[in-house]
Amino acid sequence: MDLVQLQRQLVDYRTSLYHEGFLDEQFTQLQSLQDENNPDFVVEVVSLFFEDSERLLNELSKALEQQVIDFKRMDAQVHQLKGSSSSIGAHRVQKLCIVFRNYCEAQNVEGCLKCLQQVKHEYGIIKTKLESMFQLEQQILNAGGSIPV
Amino acid sequence: MTEKPFESGSSSESSPILLASSMDTTPLRKLLHGISEFVVSSSTCGKKTAATRGRRIVHRDVEREEFQYGGGGGSGGGGGGGHCLSSYYSVFVARLAIMVMLAILIGLLTVLTWHFTKVYTTKSLNTLAFGLRYELLQRPILRMWNILNSTSEITTAQVKLSEYVIRRYSKPTNQAEQVELYEMMKDITWALFASRKALNAITINYKNGFVQAFHRDHRSNNTFYIYSDLANYSISSTESYHNEMLSSRKGRNDQFIHGNVSAIWYRQPLDPVTGEKKGKPSQIPPDDLINIAGPSQVPDGVASWHVSVSKYTDSPLLSAALPVWDATNTSIMAVVGVTTALFSVGQLMKELVEVHSGYIYLTSQQGYLLATSTNAPLLKNTTKGPKLMMAVDSEDRVLRMGAQWLQEAYGNKFPPGHVVHVEKANLGDQHYYIDSFFLNLTRLPMVGVIIIPRKYIMGKVDERALKTLVILISASVCILVIGCVCILILTNGVSKEMKLRAELISHLDARRRAEASSNYKSQFLANMSHELRTPMAAVIGLLDILICDDCLMNEQYAMVTQIRKCSTALLRLLNNILDLSKVESGKLVLEEAEFDLGRELEGLVDMFSVQCINHNVETVLDLSAGHIVLRGWCENRNVCSDSGKFSPDQKKPLSALKTKLKQHGNHTKKAGKKDNKMILWFEVDDTGCGIDRSKWESVFESFEQADPSTTRTHGGTGLGLCIVRTLVNKMGGEIKVVKKNGPGTLMRLFLLLSTPADGVEQQGRIDVSKHSVAVILALHGSIGRLTMSKWLSKNGVPTLEASEWNELTQILHELFHARTLDSGFDTHYSLAEPVRSKVQSLQDMKNPVYIIVVDLGLLDLSTNIWKEQLNFLDKFSGLVKFAWMLNHDTSNAIKMELRRKGHILMVNKPLYKAKMLHILEAVIKESYVEPQNRSPNGTKGTSKEGDSHECLEIDSTQFETCSSDDSDETAGVSSVSSVHIREESREGTILKSSPSTLRNCLVEFTRLGLDQCHTKPKLQNTEDIKPENPDSPEQPSVRSNAKDRITNEPKSLQGLRILLAEDTPVLQRVATIMLEKMGAVVIAVGDGVQAVEALNSVLDNDNEHRNDQVETEICDSPPYDLILMDCQMPMMDGYEATKAIRKSEERTGWHIPIVALTAHAMSSDKDKCLKVGMDAYLTKPIDYKLMVSTILSLTKQSSP
Repeated sequence: MDLVQLQRQLVDYRTSLYHEGFLDEQFTQLQSLQDENNPDFVVEVVSLFFEDSERLLNELSKALEQQVIDFKRMDAQVHQLKGSSSSIGAHRVQKLCIVFRNYCEAQNVEGCLKCLQQVKHEYGIIKTKLESMFQLEQQILNAGGSIPV
Repeated sequence: MTEKPFESGSSSESSPILLASSMDTTPLRKLLHGISEFVVSSSTCGKKTAATRGRRIVHRDVEREEFQYGGGGGSGGGGGGGHCLSSYYSVFVARLAIMVMLAILIGLLTVLTWHFTKVYTTKSLNTLAFGLRYELLQRPILRMWNILNSTSEITTAQVKLSEYVIRRYSKPTNQAEQVELYEMMKDITWALFASRKALNAITINYKNGFVQAFHRDHRSNNTFYIYSDLANYSISSTESYHNEMLSSRKGRNDQFIHGNVSAIWYRQPLDPVTGEKKGKPSQIPPDDLINIAGPSQVPDGVASWHVSVSKYTDSPLLSAALPVWDATNTSIMAVVGVTTALFSVGQLMKELVEVHSGYIYLTSQQGYLLATSTNAPLLKNTTKGPKLMMAVDSEDRVLRMGAQWLQEAYGNKFPPGHVVHVEKANLGDQHYYIDSFFLNLTRLPMVGVIIIPRKYIMGKVDERALKTLVILISASVCILVIGCVCILILTNGVSKEMKLRAELISHLDARRRAEASSNYKSQFLANMSHELRTPMAAVIGLLDILICDDCLMNEQYAMVTQIRKCSTALLRLLNNILDLSKVESGKLVLEEAEFDLGRELEGLVDMFSVQCINHNVETVLDLSAGHIVLRGWCENRNVCSDSGKFSPDQKKPLSALKTKLKQHGNHTKKAGKKDNKMILWFEVDDTGCGIDRSKWESVFESFEQADPSTTRTHGGTGLGLCIVRTLVNKMGGEIKVVKKNGPGTLMRLFLLLSTPADGVEQQGRIDVSKHSVAVILALHGSIGRLTMSKWLSKNGVPTLEASEWNELTQILHELFHARTLDSGFDTHYSLAEPVRSKVQSLQDMKNPVYIIVVDLGLLDLSTNIWKEQLNFLDKFSGLVKFAWMLNHDTSNAIKMELRRKGHILMVNKPLYKAKMLHILEAVIKESYVEPQNRSPNGTKGTSKEGDSHECLEIDSTQFETCSSDDSDETAGVSSVSSVHIREESREGTILKSSPSTLRNCLVEFTRLGLDQCHTKPKLQNTEDIKPENPDSPEQPSVRSNAKDRITNEPKSLQGLRILLAEDTPVLQRVATIMLEKMGAVVIAVGDGVQAVEALNSVLDNDNEHRNDQVETEICDSPPYDLILMDCQMPMMDGYEATKAIRKSEERTGWHIPIVALTAHAMSSDKDKCLKVGMDAYLTKPIDYKLMVSTILSLTKQSSP
């Protein structure tokens, strides 16, 4: 019974993530790629995403603190962040990255700073959400159940 | 809108500020300060109107802008308006300033002119007038003076003579002597008197009281001698008189008077010239006539003057008295008195005044009138005789008023010397000059006053001055008005220019905004496409995954497949929207590529057949005649052809739509031009209702419909022909509606295309004529059948035609029964003679392979008879090969049945050259294989497998052209230009566009990037295509061997080595897993440099190895089968890396396919990718399906 509840909870949670726009179909595709050969594929990719994003966000923060801001480099970094976020389906982060890039192209420091904050914020949210989702999945697995699709 | 009044208000306030700033620089600062104050005051009163006017202007601006931008640009409308307003105010102020300056200038000029003309003249005139007046007055005074002088001279002379005479006769001793003395005196006196005509009288009063006098009456011109009676006088008395006189003058004086009173006076008239006595002396009362100057008048022995009056003259008289002394000078012997009338002075004055006008009078110091220039009496009669009159009592009005004025002005306190000059004395109603002079004579001081009317001296000047003033003022007013008008006209031009400039600025603004908005639009589109494509790609990918799932029910599978199709269509739609906007904005870039016109047309026919078959339209491609014919008509479905919409007789069964193709090589038409150009002509002909001649041009405009009424039977947006024209123009062609005979419309368009340098050679095909193949065409649709049979016979394939089931059975009977039985014909199989002869000719063939192309429509599908018919045909299955023409709506049951029976050659309608070729090839191939594998069991199995491939292949071609654009990429027949050719020719058949056809048209643009020219679809696509063929006939079989498919499919990339260059770890991982799942070996690198290095190291190794192992290894196998290259990477981006790789490849002669991975979805990025040498293009996030198909198409092509 507990297991069923957990599974339902996971499904609900996941659906809410889709509904609220945190995730998009790309994440589903990611999940579909996970099979017995790569049992932890999603977690692996997402943690890769976390590492990569944190690095990028740090670099972006540093870049914005500089006297002379290298907007071209920032643009590339934001582009990278956009690519990786879109690949795991972190929809909101990806959307913000598009705005961010526009500001970078316009060399708008104010906008960049604002966007960086927003991206960080969104990133934090998606990170917590995904981690809690993985936790839920782990619980289900530990309880001996299978993860519902 | 709410902020507009505020703006206009603020700009109106700016005008004084503007003026104030200019004030500092102008020299006329003070002046302008005044003006500015005036302007401020005037602008405040004019503000109200100006503000409303300004608001109106602004309002109009905003309206215009709103009209232009649909309300989008309303917020920015204030800038231009405010500018306009401020310029308006500055112009206004400048105008005003110039006008005021002009006015001041003219005013100054006027005043100066006035001053110089008036004041100077007046001054000089005044000076002159003063001189004149002085002169005028001087002369009577001089006369007076003369009179006085002469009087005194006479008196003196008389005195001197008297003294002389009296001394001679001093001490007269007797009467005689006395008388002699008096006679002597009388003579002397007469002499003197006669010498002076002006004298009134001369009197001698002796000390004894005797009086001698001469009197001249000027009025009667008589001269009299007056004397007293001598008898009364004694010498003694004279003595006493003398003594008395010495003792007391008073006493003597009285004595004189008394003595005179007692004396008797006689008057004797004389001849005035000779002095002869004319009459008898008459006695007159003493002192009656004249004043006899007595000793009383010379009390102190000196001459005395006084003015007296006489009753005989009406003018005052001037009397002088002088004593005559004796020899010792101690006693007065006599007193001589001379009286002169002042009449002559008045006469002179009159004369003067007559010449000069004005009034002159002389008064004594006490104010008594002595002489005037008028005729007014100088004396007044009183009871005591005439008396002198005061000037203020004068009867003459002017004199009186002048005297009164003087008295009022000065009273009795005359300035010293009595000299007064008054220029403007107002007497009565006239102005006069009044001047007075003082003549200081001893004992008789006199004052002369001259009164001259101002008009006399200054009259002309005053008049002229007035006239001058009037003329000056009117002239300056005129100049001012003209100047103001000139300024207005001049500044009007300036203000107009300023207005124009403001308008220009606002236009520039608007254009900038429009450009910006169009930029936003394209940006938005780019983002949109990206944003929309991503979820769509995900949907499609997920559907693919779902299709791979093996636990789906049959129905579910069908549904999912349907969804897959729909999603593909939706994605295509999205792409089309993007492309549409590109076309509209003129950003579409055409790329030149080779194409096969025939193949394009076939694809086109395929596309139409799908749309048309349901509507009883037969599509026939007749390449030999260059026609595409759509027979029958589609009813109410604009998907088929827009021309249909305009055909009122839609039910007409046989209206035909033909597309004629005419090719003119440049050698015929444009010999002079570039050699490798060619003109391709298309004609689209229909038999619909046609287009009105007046609309021939306008149907090509955007949103134009030939029938604009809302009640029209046919819908559509009217964009289709516009896009067509744009495309045709872009390809150097032209489209127009041409006049045609008969109903319908004829459109003609041509395209200017460049022909490839080396003509495309037909790929080596199986020469069907070499094989003994015979074809029986059992088809509905006579035209299509005829066309096909013609083509086949041209290629050396004998054909038989059958249009219905019975015909087919007859032919079959004829063919086989005749052969097998070899016993002639049954009579009940009555075939037409030509057919029979053909059958015979077929029978003559050696070991022929019979192919029967059967239209499924020939079978009676409505009942169950078709199964029997199949069974009947099955009897011939060993002898002939059946190729079935399927409809799109052919049910699965039938397909399954066919498949069960071993009829695996199935193609969809319509049948055209390429399809026929495929059928032939398949059959011929099989016929070769068959003899080798002809074993009881194996035959069926192998043939089935092989056929299944072919069947799928053929269908895939069909599928590719009609629905999915994913599959296009796997079997891309098309290339860029070819796409457009197809586009044009199809659009040609579609006279009018509708959204759905538009979509179809634009499907083709998405193929732009495909440069993989598969001239011939290949068999290797089987596995890939499978899932895309939901309605393909093998669907049941797919279902049956689903397991097999699933195990097969993920391994479709089995054995491929793929180099993945991607810097984002997440993407790298995802892509790796995706590819590995497909069985590929993936080597992932982080950037372009690594990618190049990885390749080079392998290349080097490979080179070394190859030298050793030339024999064993395949020479030209590159280290990787494919490279997936991210475009944006650190160190070296995808473009650079690709260039480097392509450069290094030159050594080896390989061409490793490189697929770009990029997040940019615009065609410019695509172009860039392809330009640097990449072979294909994938957008992020990676679409699983698309990636696999792309990879497959590239790898299979490059492999031998």
